[in-house]
Parts: sequence; C-alpha cells; structure tokens
Amino acid sequence: MFAFDSSPPPPHEDMATNASHGHESYMALVWRRLRRSWTGMTGLVLVALLIVMAIFADFFAPMDPKATDVGFAPPQVMTFHDKDGNLVWPRVYALADSADLDPVTFQPIVGPDYDNPRHLGFFVKGAEYRLFGFIPAERRFFGSVDGQPVHFLGTDKFGRDVLSRAIIGSRISLMIALTVVFIVTVVGTTVGMVSGYFGGAFDIWMQRFVELVLAFPQLPLYLALTSLIPITAPTNVFLAFVIFVMSALGWAQMSREVRGKTLALARIDYVRAAMAVGATDRRIIFQHIFPNVMSHVIVAVTIQIPSVVLLESFLGFLGFAVKPPLISWGLMLQDTANYSVIGSYPWILAPVGFVLVTVFAFNALGDGLRDAIDPY
Amino acid sequence: MALALVNSFAPPLRHDHDGAKGSPIIDARNIGVHFKVEHGTVEAVKDISFQLYRGETIAIVGESGSGKSVTARTVMGLLSKRAVVSPKSSVDYDGSNILTFSEKARRKLRGDRISMIFQEPMSSLNPIYTIGSQIVEAIRVHRKVGRRQAETRALELLRQVQIPDPEARLRQYPHQLSGGQRQRVMIAMALANEPDVLIADEPTTALDVTVQAQILNLIRNLQTELRMAVILITHDLTVVRKFSDYVYVMQHGEMREHNTTEQLFANPQHPYTRRLLASEPRGQANPLPEGSDVILDARGVRVSFMLRHGGLFKPELRELVAVDSLNLTLRRHETLGLVGESGSGKTTFGQALLRLNDTDGGEIYFDRQPIHGRSRAQMRPLRSRMQIVFQDPFSSLNPRMTIGQIIEEGLIVNGLGAGKSERIERVREALVAAGMPGNILSRFPHEFSGGQRQRIAIARAIALEPEFILLDEPTSALDLSVQAQIIDLLRRLQDERGLSYLFISHDLKVVRALCHRVIVMQHGKIMEEGPVDDVLNNPRTAYTERLVKAAFEVA
Repeated sequence: MFAFDSSPPPPHEDMATNASHGHESYMALVWRRLRRSWTGMTGLVLVALLIVMAIFADFFAPMDPKATDVGFAPPQVMTFHDKDGNLVWPRVYALADSADLDPVTFQPIVGPDYDNPRHLGFFVKGAEYRLFGFIPAERRFFGSVDGQPVHFLGTDKFGRDVLSRAIIGSRISLMIALTVVFIVTVVGTTVGMVSGYFGGAFDIWMQRFVELVLAFPQLPLYLALTSLIPITAPTNVFLAFVIFVMSALGWAQMSREVRGKTLALARIDYVRAAMAVGATDRRIIFQHIFPNVMSHVIVAVTIQIPSVVLLESFLGFLGFAVKPPLISWGLMLQDTANYSVIGSYPWILAPVGFVLVTVFAFNALGDGLRDAIDPY
Repeated sequence: MALALVNSFAPPLRHDHDGAKGSPIIDARNIGVHFKVEHGTVEAVKDISFQLYRGETIAIVGESGSGKSVTARTVMGLLSKRAVVSPKSSVDYDGSNILTFSEKARRKLRGDRISMIFQEPMSSLNPIYTIGSQIVEAIRVHRKVGRRQAETRALELLRQVQIPDPEARLRQYPHQLSGGQRQRVMIAMALANEPDVLIADEPTTALDVTVQAQILNLIRNLQTELRMAVILITHDLTVVRKFSDYVYVMQHGEMREHNTTEQLFANPQHPYTRRLLASEPRGQANPLPEGSDVILDARGVRVSFMLRHGGLFKPELRELVAVDSLNLTLRRHETLGLVGESGSGKTTFGQALLRLNDTDGGEIYFDRQPIHGRSRAQMRPLRSRMQIVFQDPFSSLNPRMTIGQIIEEGLIVNGLGAGKSERIERVREALVAAGMPGNILSRFPHEFSGGQRQRIAIARAIALEPEFILLDEPTSALDLSVQAQIIDLLRRLQDERGLSYLFISHDLKVVRALCHRVIVMQHGKIMEEGPVDDVLNNPRTAYTERLVKAAFEVA
C-alpha cells in the first residue's frame, strides 16, 4: 500500500483486506471457533460417542442385559497371558473353585479358571437381540468368541452384566434428557419470545406464572407427582409421565432467559429498521429475533441436558424415575442404596462413571459453544 | 506491499530536533507489534519511531485501525496477551529501555511516571468505590503516605481538575457524576503522582462537543503547570491543530509523516496526510428548487416518558418530556439538520416523526396525509416512502442475514418488484447507487467495515425508493475520510432522486456541509431555527454559540 503516487485510492480499499478472511457462512464461522477450544471439541467427540453408543446400545453391549449369571461377580480383567505367562489372544478367565483348600478355613480357594479361557474378539456372535427393536441380529461389537458370559464391570445382585446394563441404560437416560430438553426448549422459547416481544398484559401475567413455577419446591413436587401414577401403570406411560413432570418444571427458566434476550433484541436497530420498512410482527420474530435468540438457546440446551441426566439418576436412585424392566442409570443406582453393598461390591457404582462422563461431555460442549456461537 | 522503503516524510528522528531541546523523555524506536490470530499474524504496528520532549504535546493521528492506540499501549505496557512486541523495538524512558523491564518494574512506572487517560470515562472508573477511594488508591499504590494525607492530596487534585464542589465529590460514586466530570476524575487519577508523561487516548471522543473543549483546555493548562509531556491520540484534526506541538500521522500501522503542527497543516507532504486534511467535511447543499412543496409537516409533537420514583406504597410518577410540542416542516429536496447535545431529544423526535415511537400529542402530516394516531398496520402502506438510516452500522444490520436478504426484505414486505429476479435486480441497483459493488448479495455484514456497512444501510433505505429519509447521525461512528465519502454519497442521492432528508447530528461541520436549514434543540425544546448559514454564522442563543464554537474552534 505504500505509494507516493498522488492518485486517490480506490473507494473500497479495505475490501481487499476483508476478502482475505473470506466469505464464510455462519455455521462455518461457529465451527472454526469451536475447533479452537479443546474442551469444546473433547465434549463434542464424547457427546457424539455417547449418542452413537445409545443408538446402537444392543450392538455395543457385550451381553444380554437381562441374562443372569452369578450374583455380585467381580469385574473380569482382560489378559493377554495364559497360565504360564505366554502371550496369547486376549481372553478372560472366569473365577472357579480350585482343587486346593484354604489351609485355615478349609474353604475351596477361588481363583482364575485357567483351563477354560473365554476368548475375546470384535464382532462376535452373542445373544440374539433386535436392533432398533425390529431388526433381528446377533453380532455384538465386543465379547467372548463362543458366547460365554464375560463381565468387564462385574454383575449386580441378580447376576446381570453391569456394563451391558449401563450401555443399554444410556438409551433411556439420554432419551429422557433429550426429550425433556426438547420440550423445555420449544415451550420456553415460544413463551419467552412471545412474552418479550409483545409485552403488555400477557407479559405481566406470564411472568407472574413463570415466577410461580420457579418458586415451587421442586423435589417434593417430583416425588408427589410421580407417586400419583399407579404402580401398575405400563412402563411407557410411566416414562411419559416422568418426562412430562420434568418438562413442566423446567420450561420456566428457559422462557425467562429467552424473554430477556428478546427484550434486548426488540429494541436493537436492525429490528427498528425492519419496522421502518413495514415488516409484520411475524416476519420480525422469525427473521430477526428467532435466529439471534437461537445461539443463546443452543448453549442453554447443552447446559440443561446434563442437569436432566443428573436429575434422572437422582430420582432413579430414590426409585421415582423409571420402573423395571426398563433400564436407566438412575434405576441401576438404586441397588447402591445399601452401605454394605457398596462396601463389598463397589463395581455396581459403575453407572456413576457413565453419568459423570455424560455430564462432563455436555458441559464441555456447552462451554465451547458459548464462546463459539456469537462470532460477530 | 511493504517493501520497507524509507519514507522520507517519516524519518526515525524528528524534523525539528536540533539538539537544543536536550534529550527526549521518551524515545521510541522501531516499535513493531503483531497479534497472533488464526492462520498467522496481523501486524498492528510496523516500525514506528517517535520522540517526546519534556513540556510539549505530541499528537498521534490516524483513523481507526491505524495502530495509534496499540502504540500508546506498548509504551504503557498494557497490551493484550496475544500481542507480540518485536525484539528490535525500544522505548527509552529517561535513558533506559522500558520494554526490557520486568512486569513489576513496569507496574512501578505505570500510573506513577507514565499515566494514561482512556476514551471511555463511563467504564474506566469502578462503579462500587467512591471517587475519593479510587484516587486515594492510585496515590497509595505508588507512595508510602497515610490515608489522611492521601485524601488531602485527592481533594487538591479534584480542585486542580476544576470539579465543582470537590469535597462532596470525594464521597460520591461514579454514577453520580456526568461524563465530563468522570473524565476529570480520570485525569485527576492520572495526575495523582505528578507523572512525567501523560498519554491521552481519545480523551474526549465519548463526550459532548461543548465538554470536549473544557477537558482539552484543562489538560493543556495542567501540562504547563506541571511541565508534563503529553501524547495526545486522536482522530480529530481540529483538536490536533489546536492542542499539539508536533504531529505524527499513522495509517495501517505505519508512520506516514510527521512534522511540527504548523508545518504539517500548512504543507502536508505525504499523499495520505493530504487526503486526511482534505477529508474535513466541506461544500454545502445545492440550493432548493423553486416552489418545492412540503413533504413532512409536524405540529406540536410531544413525546414523554413516565418515570417511577419512590417505593411500592408511595409511588411517585414523574413525567420526563423528551420532545416538548415541537413544530417542523420539511420540503421536498430539502435537508433539515436537527442539532443538539446527547439527551436533547433529537433522536426521539426524529423517530416519532416516522411513527417508530408513540407520541403523546401533536399532528404529523406526511405528504398531506395525517399519520398521527395511525397504527403500525395503518402505517404500512406509507413505509416504503419514508426510510431511516441509523447511527451505528454495527447494530443496524442483522448479523444472521446476508446483504441480499437485508436489502430485499423491504421489497418483499412492501410487495415491490415482480418476482425474485426483479427484486434481486433492484437490490443490485440500490447497492451500486450507494457505491457498493453489486456482487456482494450472499455475503454477511461482518465481512464489511463500518463505512461499507453504512453504505449497505443506505442501500437498504433507497432500495424502496423513498421520498424522505431520516438520517440519525449516519456519519458519527465513521472515520473522517469515510465520513466525507458518505456525505458526498448522500448529497448525490438527493440530487439524483429528489430526496428529502432530516439529518440528526451533533457535528456542526457535517451539518454545514449537508443541510439547507437547521434546528437547534436542547432539553426537548427548539432553541433556534433557520437557514444553516444564518444560524451558524450569527447564532442568536448562547447555547448555539457554544455549540458552534466547540465545533469550529475547540476552545
């Protein structure tokens, strides 16, 4: 640009510099900024893995979650060695009574059964299942080659495989979370936008109602509402009811946030400019306010999902979320209510790990998105 | 591009340096700063050298993005973490290169020997501490003095910066002070330890014009009194001419030219300097055609807001009258200026005329049709004939829509143009008429600079082929040279299309260049009204006189 010529510069000299950082769509910009945050990307990868795992839960579960074996069996560890320490294909050894007796108690000593190794492999044939509920299949992602039971995270009191149940349970837990958050988002965003944009008497009364909902003591209400439903109700009805209760108490917060955002946007210059060209309310809401509120909503969603996952595990633990034969993380944790059980069989706490990873994954993703989503 | 040619207008040493002045208090050489961004780096400042001598004021001038603030922050050591100062830069203060100092040593200098005042007095004071405690803190960080002693000194400083009733101010919080008073407090804090160097980064940009003159005079008086050296960073050439001894001109992070103020203004050498000096708004509106009829007629327009005071049980309503029964007539092809300081109600009045605000009373006729009392739906048929351009081009374009969508919206809403292809054609025409290329329809607002965005906003307005446009400070967020281009554009569009403008501004220079008539407003009332030359040359009220003086003389 250094020039001694006296000719005036072209009127758009900064256009050239602008062009270099290019013509990018909104999504491309958000993606570029999200990629920069490693926590956000970690969250994104984990969330993707969790969702894939939940969708293909039957495939990833090494065992039939309802098949029973020895109760409270400890986790089996995969090994690459045989009895003599030679390197072999991966395998696990089941525990069995050996021929030796304990010299003090005269009880048979329990040890690995080296004579009957259970060979492990990918894409093995296991117990039959129906993928998505209707495609008959028997291949499983990982398991014993010959269909013998393996328990990487041990078994619960009925001898069911904890890992398989946790993987299957992710489906219900995530399904509840996603459905609740979906309903909360749709209701909360609609109410918030209408309330914030039109204002007036509707806004005043709606906000008082929102305050009423927010002021409810939530826990007793959950317990009361879920015990309203008869114990004999079909499982899907029960599930729907749980989702309804969680949504009914969750939308208020979301609508508050969206209302605030809408209030600010409704006074911004580009909305006034749209009014000045004669745009209708509908057009202003859908073209101007909604797309700009969305960024906030998306972040709120990723923050809200973990809170619902936590709520489900908590209510499930108390026995108020999901009833057997459905499997959810919360329900699995119900078994841990007894102190002596945790002390003796700590592996049944494994679902806590799944909850932990889920909560972290969504929070990390939300954190990354929050920074990325408003690139302007 | 940067062939690193030696620019003969900007050698590393000053033109007026003859050794007679002694050694400079700040000798900055080859300052280079770049910022790490994605895909590489951005060079904000390239090879800048300047010298500052005791007791003088140098000005660093340039448009936004020229690197003048980055230069100042390098001297202060206040750059962001992403900034990298090039190893060959040096800033000698009192003989030693302060860029090599540790952070601790620099902190000792900062606010003690070298102080800075910032542009935004609203956000540079902490709202939860009193004025007094903030000044006391500034003193006690650097001096081992008792609280009582520091308070005495704080009082003395507030007297020095001429704040009325300084004793009471000490116990007040920032929100209780006006913008000008806050800037005075900032100056008091900067002077607390009698610094050798004061850096003033756009100290008056956020303030009203009449306050600007007071603040700048204050800085100058204090400078003489305390024998400080001042670096004044500004984009305002009138300020430079009045207050600085030596001027450095920057563009795109490079030094274009420097010289004594007198020499630089009399005899600018570098083409950029010449362009900058020439971009002061000039010219005047073309005369009105004979017998043009009235397009907008407002009588007794009144807008008020209800403010609630007091508690729940004793509600006290106070009415704030923002626009107090004002009359206005605007003819076709005419530009009417609406001038006043911030808070004078000019924007409220303007938007009320377009019925974007609700009025409490009065009659408004647009092209002889009454529009007062019409609902939004009833206004819709007239919307395409009256348009608005806002002050801030960053908030007036929806970031989620493409340029094409933004401009096309008005055509869709008003049912103009048969079919998509015809509308797109009209969008292109409007963009070209506003001086933008017609091939940017699928791009987003964030890809454009402030001046370009303002052109897009103008294109949105003229795409509807309106007869009247409300221009709400359309140039005040823009750089000087861009401002001149926008003024030319507006004038050209008016001649081509016979537009009528209501031009809201606080900048009388722009008003003189663009308007036929002018209305001066204060506190919601009209103070003065008349042809622009009459009002500006022979102001009848003291208020107008003050505005005129501030705009054209800064004193």
